[in-house]
Amino acid sequence: MNTVIECNNLTHYYGKKMVYEDLNFSVGEGRILGLLGKNGAGKTTTINILHGFLQPRSGEALIFGENSQRLSPHTKSRIGFLLEGHIQYAFMDIHQIEKFYSGFYPDWDSKPYWELMSKLKVTARQKISSMSCGQRSQVALGLILAQNPDLLILDDFSMGLDPGYRRLFIDYLRNYSKAGNKTIFATSHIIQDMERLIDDVLIMDYNRVLTQTPVDEFMRTFKQFNFETERSGIDLSKEEFVVNVDTIENNIELYSYDTEDNIRKFLDKKGIAFKNFREVKMGLEDAFIGLTGKY
Amino acid sequence: MIKISRYILVAIAILVSAVAIPKLYWLSFDKPIRSPFIMYSSIDHDFMIQRTGEKTIRMDNTGREYTRDEFEQKLPLFYSRQLLISGTMPDTIDGVYMDIHELNKARSFFRLRPAMIYAPDPGLYPMFESESGRANLEMPKDYFRISWRMEFIDAADNRINEKKSRMFTSVLQKRGFVFPAKKIAGIPTTRKSCDEGYFVTDSKDQLFHIKMIEARPFVKKVELPGGLKFKHIACVDFSDKKFYNYLVSEDNDIYVLSQDVYELTKLAIENYNADTEELRIYGNLFYYNVVIRGDNYVNVTILDSDYNKVDEYHESWTGRTDSKQGKIFSYIFPAQLKMYDSNISFTDFYPDITKGFNWLILNLLLILVHFYIIRKKGFSLKNNIFDLIIVALTGLFGFIAVNVFPNKSFA
Amino acid sequence: MFKSVIYKEWIKTRWFIILLTLIAILAVGNIFLTVQHNMSFKEASNYWYQILFQNSHYFSYLKFVPLIIALALASSQYIPEITDKRIKLTFHLPLRENRILIMMLAYGTASLLISYSLVFLIFLGLSNQFFAAEIVKLAIISVIPWFLAGFAAYFMAGLIILEAIWKYRIAYFIIAAAFLLLFFETGLAGSYEPINLKLTLITLLSSISLLFSAYRFRKGEM
Repeated sequence: MNTVIECNNLTHYYGKKMVYEDLNFSVGEGRILGLLGKNGAGKTTTINILHGFLQPRSGEALIFGENSQRLSPHTKSRIGFLLEGHIQYAFMDIHQIEKFYSGFYPDWDSKPYWELMSKLKVTARQKISSMSCGQRSQVALGLILAQNPDLLILDDFSMGLDPGYRRLFIDYLRNYSKAGNKTIFATSHIIQDMERLIDDVLIMDYNRVLTQTPVDEFMRTFKQFNFETERSGIDLSKEEFVVNVDTIENNIELYSYDTEDNIRKFLDKKGIAFKNFREVKMGLEDAFIGLTGKY
Repeated sequence: MIKISRYILVAIAILVSAVAIPKLYWLSFDKPIRSPFIMYSSIDHDFMIQRTGEKTIRMDNTGREYTRDEFEQKLPLFYSRQLLISGTMPDTIDGVYMDIHELNKARSFFRLRPAMIYAPDPGLYPMFESESGRANLEMPKDYFRISWRMEFIDAADNRINEKKSRMFTSVLQKRGFVFPAKKIAGIPTTRKSCDEGYFVTDSKDQLFHIKMIEARPFVKKVELPGGLKFKHIACVDFSDKKFYNYLVSEDNDIYVLSQDVYELTKLAIENYNADTEELRIYGNLFYYNVVIRGDNYVNVTILDSDYNKVDEYHESWTGRTDSKQGKIFSYIFPAQLKMYDSNISFTDFYPDITKGFNWLILNLLLILVHFYIIRKKGFSLKNNIFDLIIVALTGLFGFIAVNVFPNKSFA
Repeated sequence: MFKSVIYKEWIKTRWFIILLTLIAILAVGNIFLTVQHNMSFKEASNYWYQILFQNSHYFSYLKFVPLIIALALASSQYIPEITDKRIKLTFHLPLRENRILIMMLAYGTASLLISYSLVFLIFLGLSNQFFAAEIVKLAIISVIPWFLAGFAAYFMAGLIILEAIWKYRIAYFIIAAAFLLLFFETGLAGSYEPINLKLTLITLLSSISLLFSAYRFRKGEM
């Protein structure tokens, strides 16, 4: 599998404040990767570096083997960028903007664009600026599909969208990626959306990467166990197998990559009496919170 | 390309701050320097000096102070009107009867600044009818130029009056005029006592007197000593009708050209520089008071009515550069870029490099400050060495420029 | 691709440039209506006299016209780019960033050139109708810096608008204002003769100014 995005030892500071140091990750061809992280964890910084709008203090981000700071026109033509908020040239109407973009891409295929546009209830001369957020997202999506890029970089694609439009957007993207072996790098506020879309998950916390794995593997191995202890005030947070733990009096919510068996054994060994031990089924959002903590 | 665009912006910032900041400095801190007014007493045959300031001081050449009345009585030819009113006008001076008409007729004032010599040339002039028989001069309907021929252009329809143009051209040719004209001097206004037309130098520097009498051209070639070229000709309209004009030669000699007989007389004035000094000539019944003013000095020469030197006076004072403000200026600004030179009526860049090296102190200080800024931002010295050189050379201006348009290069 | 870039710039600016050019032409028309009025009411030779010897500038009405056209063009062209940081879209187009910027710049400069040429040629033609070559020459020398100021203002406005940090924007604005003042010194008609060529040169050099602030944007100064 070819590597499409590769970040090596990416380090950035805003003034004296460190965003991250030596960040490494890569995205393989045909994969859909979701970048998750709390606000301030460095999502936007990473997206900006990939977009070429931020020069990292050190390290490099390579896209199709080229430094994102100096992408060649050819490489840029292989990348579809979606800006946060589905920003487009809103002073144009849908005909003008299609005419504009089609001049840049030799493989321009206007069919999917018009297919999407035909579903929008907009007039031919209506400026994009006067459209609703959902309609604008469809314009931005249609343009990207018509461009037919090999890599999509989507910054918070669900922002401002109704559930219906979000679903539509995701379905189109997933379909597009799987039909053409296209790579997608996406961030979103709404993690539920990601679950339907992504193959791999990259979770960032302040200054570091918490995990980068296929979503199904993550969901299979990362577990939540709830149980009640007889004594209160038991602190498990220092234990090696514990990723995160929430203790409210006797009730314990424990997150771990370890198996149920091992945890039970551990509790027995330590002589901690417990009852109602059960594994709780998690969605991606729960798992995300479990991994990064509520605060 | 981006580097180039930055250096262009830095250069523009240096340019405009060298224009604007010193200008603002002088606007805020400049104080007027009043030069003394020097006159020549026909009573004492010596100079009288009036100094204006917070208090006006009137004195003679030995330093003795006078009241206003005393002072004016020493200068009856300057203050004749005042003396007549107060009844203190002497009947005779040096045996000459003081006739009020003669006094007024002989009085004249002339002023020439370098900026009048170096000024845009209108190129078109009105040719008045010199002997219309009317009391008042009338503005003609056309204007003339002297290019490959002499042409009259009617203002109302912007067309050339062929007949008149041919007539004047052919007379000029007959008198030996070589087209085109180099300089055209006259008094292009109806507000004068009478019209004497124009004095024109041709392309061979010959001098011609051209006027229009009863709609016919009058052209007279003025005989000049060999090699004499004029920098400026200023026609005058004085009541005594002694001469047509003051002429300044390329060598900065001042001449007068006598009326009717066209006799050229050189005034006994030395060390005049028409490019930098202002010339004022106050004429009266006995003397020509020739005042030549530089930035911080004045030279006065007194000529008698036959233009012979009688006396001279020199005084200098502290100029702007040596004043307190000027000294402070020299510590701040390595130069000033002016859009105007007081001696030239054209807009241009006139660099004025500050004399001495006082500004080097500030330049050094700014280099240190900029060095500190580079260090603080963690930029590499190698990438910023050129900025430091700019600050070293242009001081405050460069410091502002390189910080408004900062270099961005990481270590 | 060039055609597409031009197409976008045209959509943004067309009404502004067309409308303002028309207004400028009306301004020129107004100048010559005044001239005509003065020629008949003041007597032509007296009017010429005022122009030649009393420093009366029949063209002074034109003074800020090129500047206004330039500022309107620059605003209509660059403000839509910085709104929502749309300039990012522009930089994502499959062209070198500086090439796109220079294309945009070329479009704006060419538009100004066309607009100014129209205004200037009408001014020149009508001037020649009413006045002798000498008067026209002095007028041209006097109005050239105003047109140059228009170009300079357009280039400086690009620099200022594309800068993302307000602190720097203000600093650029001060420098740009002081720069533009060089073109508007008052003086005798024709007094700019020795400096016009130098100002032309400086204006040409200033043309690529916006590359600087655009580069700062691209390197994360926002």
